[in-house]
Amino acid sequence: MLAYTLRRLWQFIPTLAGVVLFVFFLFNWVGGDPAYLLAGKLPNPETIANIRRQLGVDEPYAVQLWIFLKQILTGNFGASWSTNELVSQIFATRLGPSLTVLVPLLMISTLLGMAAAMLVAYVRGSLTDRAVMVGCTVAQSISILVYILVFQYVFAYQLGWFPVQGWGITFAENLLRYAMLAIIVGVAVSLAPDIRLYRTFFLDEINQDYVRTARAKGLSEARVMWVHVLRNAAIPIVTNILLQLPGLLAGAFLIERFFGIPGIGREVILAVERSDFPIIKAVTVYVAIATMIVNLVADLLYKAIDPRLQLK
Amino acid sequence: MNTAARWLAILLVAVAPATLAQNKVLRITFQAGETGFDPVRTHDYYSGHVLEAVFDTLLTYDYLARPAKLVPSAAALPEISADGRTYTFRIRKGIYYTDDPAFKGRKRELTAQDFAYSIRRFFDPKNRSPYAFLFTGKVVGLDEFTARAKAGAKFDYDTPVAGLQTPDRYTLVIRLKERDLNFSHVLAFPVTSAVAREVIEAYGDEVPSHPVGSGPFYLKRYVRSSKIVLAANPGYRGKKWDFAPGDNPRFKQIAERMQGKQLPLIDGVEISIMEETQSRWLAFQRGETDMEYALWDVSPTFMTDDGRLRPEFVRRGIQLDRTVDPEIIYLYFNMLDKIGDTPNPVGGFSKERMALRRAIAMSYKIDDQIRIIRKGQAVRAQYPIPPGIVGHDPKYVSSIPYDPRAANALLERYGYKKGSDGYRRQPNGEPLVIKYGSTPTERDRQFDELMQRGLDAIGIKMEIQKDRFPELLKMEKQCRLMVRHAAWIADWPDGDNFMQLLYGPNTYESNNACYKSPEYDKRYAKSRTMPDGPERDRLYHEMTRLMETDTVWLLADSRIRNTLQHPNVVGFTKHPVLHAEWLYLDLDPKPAY
Repeated sequence: MLAYTLRRLWQFIPTLAGVVLFVFFLFNWVGGDPAYLLAGKLPNPETIANIRRQLGVDEPYAVQLWIFLKQILTGNFGASWSTNELVSQIFATRLGPSLTVLVPLLMISTLLGMAAAMLVAYVRGSLTDRAVMVGCTVAQSISILVYILVFQYVFAYQLGWFPVQGWGITFAENLLRYAMLAIIVGVAVSLAPDIRLYRTFFLDEINQDYVRTARAKGLSEARVMWVHVLRNAAIPIVTNILLQLPGLLAGAFLIERFFGIPGIGREVILAVERSDFPIIKAVTVYVAIATMIVNLVADLLYKAIDPRLQLK
Repeated sequence: MNTAARWLAILLVAVAPATLAQNKVLRITFQAGETGFDPVRTHDYYSGHVLEAVFDTLLTYDYLARPAKLVPSAAALPEISADGRTYTFRIRKGIYYTDDPAFKGRKRELTAQDFAYSIRRFFDPKNRSPYAFLFTGKVVGLDEFTARAKAGAKFDYDTPVAGLQTPDRYTLVIRLKERDLNFSHVLAFPVTSAVAREVIEAYGDEVPSHPVGSGPFYLKRYVRSSKIVLAANPGYRGKKWDFAPGDNPRFKQIAERMQGKQLPLIDGVEISIMEETQSRWLAFQRGETDMEYALWDVSPTFMTDDGRLRPEFVRRGIQLDRTVDPEIIYLYFNMLDKIGDTPNPVGGFSKERMALRRAIAMSYKIDDQIRIIRKGQAVRAQYPIPPGIVGHDPKYVSSIPYDPRAANALLERYGYKKGSDGYRRQPNGEPLVIKYGSTPTERDRQFDELMQRGLDAIGIKMEIQKDRFPELLKMEKQCRLMVRHAAWIADWPDGDNFMQLLYGPNTYESNNACYKSPEYDKRYAKSRTMPDGPERDRLYHEMTRLMETDTVWLLADSRIRNTLQHPNVVGFTKHPVLHAEWLYLDLDPKPAY
C-alpha cells in the first residue's frame, strides 16, 4: 500500500506539470491582455506599458512560467490584478460561502439519491420504477438555469419563503436563511442524475449470487438491502462522491451569481471576465491538486472497504 | 424552557435579519462587482459611486441645476487668473477625516496638502492609475516630476512641483501650462478626491478595501463583490439641502420637502452586488431593495409603450424617474488606409470610400436598435453631444438618413458592383468584406443581427469578429478594428468631453475611429479656447457636419435611465454627472413593502 501511495504521489508531478503548461499557454495565447481593461477610458501606450510592467506580463514567457512555478511551490499567487486583493485572502473569504452551500447540497442530494435509488432498484420493472426513471430523464433534460429562475420566482418572490438574494454575517443566518433556496435548487438539479446512477449500482449488486444466498438463508429484505447490497455498492458510490469534492473548490458559479452568494465560483467568473490571471491560475492549480489527491484517497478507500482488492 | 425550545430560540435569533432596526438605510444594487475604493486606482463605474460617498473633492455639482453646474465642496469655487492658467482653491476649515488607527488617536483635518499629495499619486507607477490623463500635460512641472520617477529615480512625494503649491494649510494653487476651460470639472471628478498620506502609508496594498475619507459616509462593512455597507459619518462637516428647483415641477416638489434639511438624512446605504436582472427585479418587487435602475431587459413589464409606469405599479406607490443618460452610442469606421499591413476597405478620404461608409450608415436601421435591443428605452442620437450636456443642440438633425434604396444607388454609382456570388466587390474588383467587431454576449448578438440585416439589404458581405471585450478594446486602441459599435458616457458635463473623441491626436486613446482630419482638428483646437456660447456651438456644428460628410460615425442612440423607487424614497432625481445621489435623499420611515 505504501509503495502504491508513493508511486501515485510521484505521478502527481508530470500531471501537474501538464496542467500548468496548458493553463499558462492557454491564458497567454487566448486569455486576453488585462492591461487595456485596467487602463481605463483613455489608455495611452505609456500607460499600457506601465501596467504590463507592473503586472509582469512584459517579461519573456520563460520568466513568467518560472514565476508561476515558484508560486505553486510557495502557494503564494500574489494579488488580483484588478482589485489588488491577495489571492490567498480571496480563497480564505470566498471558500466559506461556497462550502456553506455545496457541502449540505452534496450531503442531502447523496442521501436522498441513495434512498430513492435503493427503493426503485428494489421495485425494479414495476410501474413505480418506470415512472421514476421517466421523471428523472425529464428532470435531467431541464437546464439548471430554468431551475434557478423558476425556484427563485416561485419560492422567493411569489411565496416569500426565502429572500431573493443576499448573504448575511453569521454562519447560522447564512445557512438557514440565505443558502437554503440555493441548496434546494442544487438538490433538485442533482437528484435525478444521482438516482439514475445509484440505481444502476444497486441493480448490479441485487442480481449477485450472494444476495440470493442471503435471502435463501432467511434474512429480511431490509437487512439484505441495507447491510449487504449497500456495502458492496459503496465503492462506486464513494467514487462518485469523492470525484465531486474538487468541484467544491471551484464553487457553483450560476447558483452563486443568481443568489448573490460571495463564493469562489462567482469570483472565478469575475476573474475570467477581467482576465485576472492570478486568480485563474490559483483556482486551476488547486482544483488539479485536489482532484489528484481525491483520486488517490478514493483508491485507498476501496482497499479499506473491500480488502480483497489489489492496488497496482 | 426545555433544551429543544432553547436551541430553537437561539437559532431564531441567529437567523433574524441583522438590519431590522435601521429604517433609514437605503438598499440598492450594483449590476457588476466593484474593484476597490482607492481613488487613483479605481477603474470601474460602480466603485466611483462609493468614492463619491466616502471622500471629498474640491468641487461638486448642484443637485438640481440643469445643465449641471459646479458648486463648492471641500473648497470654494476657484479664483482663476486672468490668463486662465492659475487656479487658487481655498479649502474649508473644519473638515475632518473619519477616525482611523492610522491617525494615532488624533482628529485629522483635511488640508490643501492632501489634495496636492492625491494629485501626485496619479503618477506613481505603482498605482498604474487609469486616470493620470486628467493631469498629464496640464500642470506645470508635473510631467517632468513623473519622468524623473520613470527614469528609475524613487517616486518622491516630497519633491516640489512648480504647478502644485500649498502656500498654507488651506490654500492649493494649481498652475496649468495652458488655459483649460474644463479644468474645474476635473476637480469635481470622484477620482480626484483627497486622501490622507498616513492612511496610504499605513495600509499600502490594502488601501482599496480600507478607504478613509471626509465625506458624508464611511465604509462600515465590506464583503468583496457581494455587499458594501456605508454608514452616515457622525463627524461630517454639515451641509444643508439648499438647491434652487427652477421651473421643473418635480424639482419643486423635491425642494418643498427637502429645503433646509441637514445632510445626510439617511443612516446609511446597503449595496448588494447583483449581476442578474431577474434577481434584481424580483428583489425590488419584494421590497428587498429600495431603488433599481438597470432593468432595461424587463422594462416592458413595468412600463407602457409611451414611457409611463403601468397602473399596477402606480397603485403600489412606486415612483419612476426617467432621464436620458449623458452618453452616445455610435457605429464607427476605422479611417486609416490600412489595418496592420492589410488595406482597409472602409478607410481613407477618397470619394469611393466615403460613399461606402455613407451607404453602410444609411443601411443601418437605428429605429430597430431602439425598438428591439433597447426595448424602446432610448432616444435617437442626432448630435455628438447628448442631452443634459453643455453644448447639446436639441434642434440638430443628422444628415445621414436611413435609406437602403439610396444606399444601393450610391454604391452602384461609385463602382461597388455585385459579383457572381451576389455580394458587392470593391471598385478595383477585389472582394469586399466588412469585419464587424463584437463580443460573445447576448446583447451583441442582437447588434450583429441588425448589422447583418442592414448589410444584406445593400449586398455587402459581413464577417463578425468575435472576441472578448478586453481583446476588442486592445485592438480598438491599436486601430485594428474595422467597424464596431462604441459608447461614451460623459466624464463631465461639457461638450468638449465628446468632441475630443474625433480629435486626431487622440488616436490610439479615445479616438476609436482613428480619424485624422486637419479641418476637424483645427476647429477642435480653437473650440478648446472658447467658453460655452454661440461661437463655440457654431464650431461644434461645423465639426459635426465634417464628421457626417466623412461618415466617420453613425450616431445611434442615448439610453433612457428608468429608476424605480419604492414610495419610501424621497428626493431622488438622477443627476447627469454625479454617480451617487445618496447624500441628497431621505427615506420615509414607513416600511417599503
